[in-house]
Amino acid sequence: MAPVTDEQLVERIQQGHIIESPEEMTDDYRRTLIHILTVSADTEMISAPSYYTAARNVPSMNNLISALAIIQDELSHAHIGYRILQDLGVDTEALIYDRPPTQFKHPYAFDVPLRSWIELIVANAFYDRAGFVLLGDVYRNCSYGPWRRALAKVDKEENFHLRHGENGMRRLSATHRDEIQRAIDWMFPITVEWFGLPDHLKTHTKQIAYRLKGSTNDQLRQTWLRTAVPLCESLGFRVPAHYDRASDTYVLDYPLPVDFDEEERRWLMDRPITWDDVLTRWKRRGPGNAMFVEMLQRGRRQMRSLLAVH
Amino acid sequence: MKTIGEEPVYEVFARRVEGEPLRHVGCVAAPADALARVYARSIYDEESWLEMYVVPRRAIIPVESVRGEAVDAHV
Repeated sequence: MAPVTDEQLVERIQQGHIIESPEEMTDDYRRTLIHILTVSADTEMISAPSYYTAARNVPSMNNLISALAIIQDELSHAHIGYRILQDLGVDTEALIYDRPPTQFKHPYAFDVPLRSWIELIVANAFYDRAGFVLLGDVYRNCSYGPWRRALAKVDKEENFHLRHGENGMRRLSATHRDEIQRAIDWMFPITVEWFGLPDHLKTHTKQIAYRLKGSTNDQLRQTWLRTAVPLCESLGFRVPAHYDRASDTYVLDYPLPVDFDEEERRWLMDRPITWDDVLTRWKRRGPGNAMFVEMLQRGRRQMRSLLAVH
Repeated sequence: MKTIGEEPVYEVFARRVEGEPLRHVGCVAAPADALARVYARSIYDEESWLEMYVVPRRAIIPVESVRGEAVDAHV
């Protein structure tokens, strides 16, 4: 295939062309694809130690079995992402096992440890819903064939996870009302923030031009709100957002972004900050970051030293 | 000794029900056939497959292909 310029490639992609191999890519397409795939694979990967830490305190063996099934799914999704990265020439051994924790690209939400089974349920309802929204968009739109096909499995399983969260919230809404509300109070805004910079400030417009994703941050955030808010309201829980009939959209009841007290896990709704402040917090990473990455890397380090000895 | 993390790639094919074509469901990297089978079974567990196979990627010979080289430049 003849080498193409970036403009030609964008035009081809806009006409619906699907890319199947690295040699059809421009350097910039390849770089942008590697970036978005790394974010995706890191997110799946880090959800495993995060969910596992919460799952150690589950009330019953059945709860543990469903939590472990979800964790196993997340690890296989991570595998799929890293496997595709290998085919793009990325050294995933170094990427996964030698990268400093702060260099991982998963959303900040996963760096704030979950403390209970209830929080794990709400994470399934909120975080896995965010994953389902983001990856569902990629699944329907992505111009890179191998990733798009791989997401058939991921889409199906993330849907199962968010149903697990919904059913859990429904089942526990009478008996564990306050605990669920407390989880929603910090986990709802952290998921809203996850979708990133609003469209007028967003810099990664190449991801849309290359159709690595189909929708903008604000559109994806709206898609999430459109199901997350009714879920909470139908169970009688308070969320800082409401439906606006005039614009047919879900509107936040606080100015995004606002300050977050990491230690107290509390949003300071009356303290607006800038997106630069948010990016600083994201780059610094959250309280669970080092521990979760260590859980992923420790075994490999031990295996490497054993192999070096023998 | 083989360096960990630089394992050969196997393509994974599976069939859900009789009469359906065997289809490509993904790939795994593994140091040997036995582990490739284990990885394929545990990673691609989204269906109760009737049949599943792994094929070393280097065994796939391009006949008509958009690629200028063999499928796997990585092995």
